[in-house]
Amino acid sequence: MATLTLESLGKTYDSGASAVSGINIDVADGEFLVLVGPSGCGKSTLLRMIAGLETVTHGSIRIGPREVNRLEPADRDIAMVFQNYALYPHMSVRENLSYGLRNRRMARAEITRRVEEAARILEIGDFLERKPRALSGGQRQRVAMGRAIVREPSVFLFDEPLSNLDAKLRVTMRGEIRNLQKRLGTTSVYVTHDQLEAMTLADRLVVLRAGKVEQIGTPLEVYQRPASTFVAEFIGSPAMNLLDGVMEHGRLAIGTATMRLPDAHCGPVRVGVRAEDLRAVPGGTQGALPVRLSYVEELGSQRLGHFDCAGARLIAAFPSGQGLSEEMALMADPEALHLFGADGMRLT
Amino acid sequence: MQNKRAIFGAKGLPYLLLAPQLIITAIFFLWPAGQAIWQSFLREDAFGIKTTFVALENYSRLFADPSYLNALKVTVVFALSTAALSMGVALVLALAVDRTLRSARIYSTLLIWPYAVAPAVAGVLWWFMFNPTIGILPYLLKGVGYGWNHALDRGDAMTLVVISAAWKQISYNFLFFVAGLQAIPASLREAAAIDGAGPVRRFWTITLPLLSPTTFFLLVVTIVYTMFDTFGVIDAITEGGPAQSTNILVYKVYQDGFVGLNLGSSAAQSVVLMGIVIVLTVIQFRFVERRVNY
Ligand SMILES: Nc1ncnc2c1ncn2[C@@H]1O[C@H](COP(=O)(O)OP(=O)(O)OP(=O)(O)O)[C@@H](O)[C@H]1O
Ligand SMILES: [Mg+2]
Repeated sequence: MATLTLESLGKTYDSGASAVSGINIDVADGEFLVLVGPSGCGKSTLLRMIAGLETVTHGSIRIGPREVNRLEPADRDIAMVFQNYALYPHMSVRENLSYGLRNRRMARAEITRRVEEAARILEIGDFLERKPRALSGGQRQRVAMGRAIVREPSVFLFDEPLSNLDAKLRVTMRGEIRNLQKRLGTTSVYVTHDQLEAMTLADRLVVLRAGKVEQIGTPLEVYQRPASTFVAEFIGSPAMNLLDGVMEHGRLAIGTATMRLPDAHCGPVRVGVRAEDLRAVPGGTQGALPVRLSYVEELGSQRLGHFDCAGARLIAAFPSGQGLSEEMALMADPEALHLFGADGMRLT
Repeated sequence: MQNKRAIFGAKGLPYLLLAPQLIITAIFFLWPAGQAIWQSFLREDAFGIKTTFVALENYSRLFADPSYLNALKVTVVFALSTAALSMGVALVLALAVDRTLRSARIYSTLLIWPYAVAPAVAGVLWWFMFNPTIGILPYLLKGVGYGWNHALDRGDAMTLVVISAAWKQISYNFLFFVAGLQAIPASLREAAAIDGAGPVRRFWTITLPLLSPTTFFLLVVTIVYTMFDTFGVIDAITEGGPAQSTNILVYKVYQDGFVGLNLGSSAAQSVVLMGIVIVLTVIQFRFVERRVNY
């Protein structure tokens, strides 16, 4: 159990490329922190720096009160689950689980106890004597988790541990990881590029963009108040609609539609609106956007209408029974609108 | 896949295309091998006039002959020492390259050169360096109080032929070890590092076991090399001496057959060698298919 503190942390590779920079994050004891961002944004680099697999070029990493920048991975009291699981192919599952404990010269009886305990929690007791290649993907995933929990470390690190599983198993394992972490209460940092996985797992979410923190917050905060158009488009599915508009004297104009907005800002803005905040209204309603339907996506519980709005694409969600016509008018409450400046940052 | 067979319309064409290879194999391998087997059942008198069929007598004499048993023992020592030295050094060099792969091009190229040197030339090279009167290394060894003379000392002679034979084979083993190391995912070593294994423990418990298929393959290849391809090294450096101490099987075949003109015994020795290589090859294929250790 420990806190994890990253202070103006940065990494420049030997090639001169800066992978991450200026990272300041405090992870509370027992918290589940998820790092999310598009491919190449530096998630793995950051995680591997915490693990001690990459050198730190700027700033510091503290686990509890202890600065670990210069410690070997083995001395940091962390355990990591790799994307490809990195199970030792020549060792049985039991040997895989106990390897880290044997290296630390733990007593035999204690090793057996911990391995049996982990095997029970993860339901892998039936194949402790098998080699990894004789396991399915999901079972390997559990063994990789087991190898982390037998160590009883201060911090768990996960690097996209579910990305090699099929969609259904991913959802199950997601829940199991979440439950396990809550039960053990171990501080965890989890890397993923899947925003849904990030939303469902995280106590707090860190959105990374090009090596910098774009936003930190609980999944709901990030969803409801994205700090930039980047976050707005990245978090949530379908992605938030973004339209060009102009603010003048407390009035917002999007194309021909105008509506009152209690906002002092003046000039061109990007207006964000979630698909579920849009609703169909009769044509000609004050503030409604005239749109043309291009196609409908049936999801079962709801249907997504894809529209063309004066050249911009717009997605709106409707209850599954609702009829949609070629020409429609859509509208959202003023409180549901997100305003972003020309630089993409949130205005209010 | 099955349809692709139809490409050869005429039945005879595949055989025609294979013919050159088959003819070469028949003329240069099957025929001499048959000759050797036949010869091994015969004995010629001292003047080479009369030939008699003696069945397995050449073989029974061979295994009763102390000088042949000595050659067998010398071969085992020579083969195992050469394999240990060439593979050990190759593995150390490969580990060094694997750590710093980007700057390793030139280094690797240099390490591969010795493989292109003919065994006899390699032998002469080392013979010069270790020449008791003009060589540089005996001179240096004298400095630390060791009187080197491989022409008289059996241990020195064996050491020298082992070094010469191993030196050439290091390049080959090195290439395979580098490839083998590259095939081990970095994440395994990282996981082991997190699991508290230091570099040395990591090597013994992760790297070496995962390298075992490569190691086994190279062991067989190197043993075959030392048993058959090192004729030039022995001939250039020691000619089997002093006192038979470096007279390996393949060199003894030559000595007894071409120098001693005891063709029946020489042929029997060749057949024994052939048997050994067949056994090694079978082991090789069996194990490589099954993959050693994991
Ligand atoms: N060894 C390296 N040397 C130089 N640059 C590197 C190295 N490793 C990664 N990078 C660069 O650092 C940046 C971040 O890489 P990183 O692997 O952390 O991305 P990521 O967010 O994990 O992406 P993904 O989701 O694809 O795994 C990338 O631009 C990458 O090209
Ligand atoms: Mg990554």
